[in-house]
Amino acid sequence: MSQIRYGEFLRGMRSRQTVVSYNELTRGGPAPQQKLKLRAIDVERLLAPYLGTRFYEQVRTVVPLALYLMLFQLLILRQDVADIWVIVAGFGAVIIGLMLFMEGLKLGMMPFAEIIGNKLPKKSALPVVLFIVFLLGIGVTLAEPAIGALQAVGSIVEVTRAPYLYELLNNRAGTLVLVVGIGVGCAAVLGTIRFLRGWSLKPLIFAALVPTLGLVLYIMWDPELSKTLGLAWDSGAVTTGPVTVPLVLALGIGIASAAGKGSSSLSGFGIVTLASLFPIVGVMLLSLYVGATTDTQTIIATAQAAQQAGDATWLTRTPVAEIIGGIRAIVPLMAFLFLILFAVLREKLAEAGIVTYGITLALIGMIVFNVGLTYGLAKLGSQSGGLVAGAFAEVGVMPGSPLYSVGVGVMIALVFAWALGFGATLAEPALNALGLTVENLTNGAFKKRTLMYAVSVGVAFGIAVGILKIVLDIPLAWLILPGYAAAVLLTILSSEEFVNVAWDSAGVTTGPVTVPLVLAMGLGFGNAVDAIEGFGILSMASIGPILTVMATGLWVQRTAARRAALRGREAEQPARQGQGVAA
Amino acid sequence: MSKREIIVLTDVTLITCVVQRGVADKIVKAAYAAGAQGATVHFAKGMGIRERLGLLGVAVEVEKEVVQIVVSEDQVEHIFETMYLAGELNTPGMGIMYITPLEKAATYVPPEVLARLEARSEEPS
Repeated sequence: MSQIRYGEFLRGMRSRQTVVSYNELTRGGPAPQQKLKLRAIDVERLLAPYLGTRFYEQVRTVVPLALYLMLFQLLILRQDVADIWVIVAGFGAVIIGLMLFMEGLKLGMMPFAEIIGNKLPKKSALPVVLFIVFLLGIGVTLAEPAIGALQAVGSIVEVTRAPYLYELLNNRAGTLVLVVGIGVGCAAVLGTIRFLRGWSLKPLIFAALVPTLGLVLYIMWDPELSKTLGLAWDSGAVTTGPVTVPLVLALGIGIASAAGKGSSSLSGFGIVTLASLFPIVGVMLLSLYVGATTDTQTIIATAQAAQQAGDATWLTRTPVAEIIGGIRAIVPLMAFLFLILFAVLREKLAEAGIVTYGITLALIGMIVFNVGLTYGLAKLGSQSGGLVAGAFAEVGVMPGSPLYSVGVGVMIALVFAWALGFGATLAEPALNALGLTVENLTNGAFKKRTLMYAVSVGVAFGIAVGILKIVLDIPLAWLILPGYAAAVLLTILSSEEFVNVAWDSAGVTTGPVTVPLVLAMGLGFGNAVDAIEGFGILSMASIGPILTVMATGLWVQRTAARRAALRGREAEQPARQGQGVAA
Repeated sequence: MSKREIIVLTDVTLITCVVQRGVADKIVKAAYAAGAQGATVHFAKGMGIRERLGLLGVAVEVEKEVVQIVVSEDQVEHIFETMYLAGELNTPGMGIMYITPLEKAATYVPPEVLARLEARSEEPS
């Protein structure tokens, strides 16, 4: 047996090393910071993972949803996807747009929010800080990608059937978004005060629900205005997206930690909840105002006149409309952030070049996303919504409809909606993050998977109920009132942690891909079955997870308590203790 | 006689490798394949290279992972090279790595390994 020293073997295999003394490199004093020369392979190595991960992130959320819708249409409904190449290009634009926008958000906007959150409370009095938080709430709402969906689907609404809804979505779209923004602004202010004072979320929820449900009770008796309820409740779900949540949170947490109160594990929760309840109040008040000042005949007459005049001016044509939309979304927010930073704080940005790059990316991303929204998400959503209705009802564009008997057809539509909600929610990256937080918060009692499934099942049932609402033409108020009554009951029973998590999970689930798709699907579906309006699905998708998460939370607590009691009795069997409280 | 026994390892070396966040897994896997037995990874924030890369600087993650691997002196060259190649450190912005001599190390050494070593040292070589 011959022996070779391993070290010698390795030394034999060694690659060629060039030894350079670092002294050689640093000789001659501090070298000027010169730009490096890169080889092609270096550029590739740097860019490939940078672009790859960001691209793949969006592909993972967008592609399965699009495939699901298209395959369902092809296999179950046996319909070709109309304009398939336009839709594919649209989805490509959504992926690229979101990728650019998210990167731009991270590089261009988050630094502002962090600096402002840290510095502002030290330099200004609390009322000034809260006022700025309020304005920022409005700004971020305008920049939310999904908000464009409201305008995009507005054209699907028929003016003669729901005149107030048409008026809100088309002629007053700007006011509508502003009102939603004011709602978010108020929520941000209240949420920040909550951070500072350490208020419990429960009474805040009850206090916010009183006017919200009260307005529902008032509006539901007016036959014309009640058609706008669905829009009001859906706009609550639209607001809490990828811009609002991180920016407002960064600010709120910064303010709380400046006051020395940022350490609670629950800080960060609650703003999302309030930000999805307050806009509902705002939109309902707006529709009351519109109802009081305008009557339906005038709206219908103006709308028909506008349609005859042929309103497709160059301003409303692609891509000009999208570019204007993108600029309108980003520029006010950025101008506001710059103003605060330079005029109020007199601070400088650390990396101005990178921030400029980020803002440019965000702007381009928003414009590209808006194009994709119109041609990909809204188009496919309304198309499959209309065709799903063909499973059980006669639909003009679909020869041979209804494909199945009413019972089977409705079942297919419900299963379709359920699976769509479940899959889309489970794929939402924000839900994964929430799951991790919750697992840490509850010391592992509430597993990440448990939460993710609870939320997804909640959304799935919510969307299915929303579809059923359109099929059976149930007024939305009849679903919202008992739903939120149950939520209030569960809130009273649950502990503070679960209340926070459950109410926030509703906002987390509705991302920039799901929202336009579901909105457009609902409206297309509603038109196909001759419902008055197809809103309300998103609001059902918001209440669903609130109920399921709190119910799961109660169940987890009960099993944990029972196991703890059991363990006390079986103290002589310590081997089992390590197995924990896994649900 | 009741003194506790501590097994001290000599001829140990530390390899430290700073890479962008998310790359550490790749480096550690390569080091394992080359014979490393464990690794410690912690997070850090780096600066210096982004400014010199110009526009491409945005592609370099500011958040870093610091991989620390204790290896034997016999292994160190081989593992060092493997990690360098796995991390593609010959591209600017990818990271830096260095070797630090260690005086002593102590950790768990399996008893059967100890027994084998003792048996070998008793034999006349």
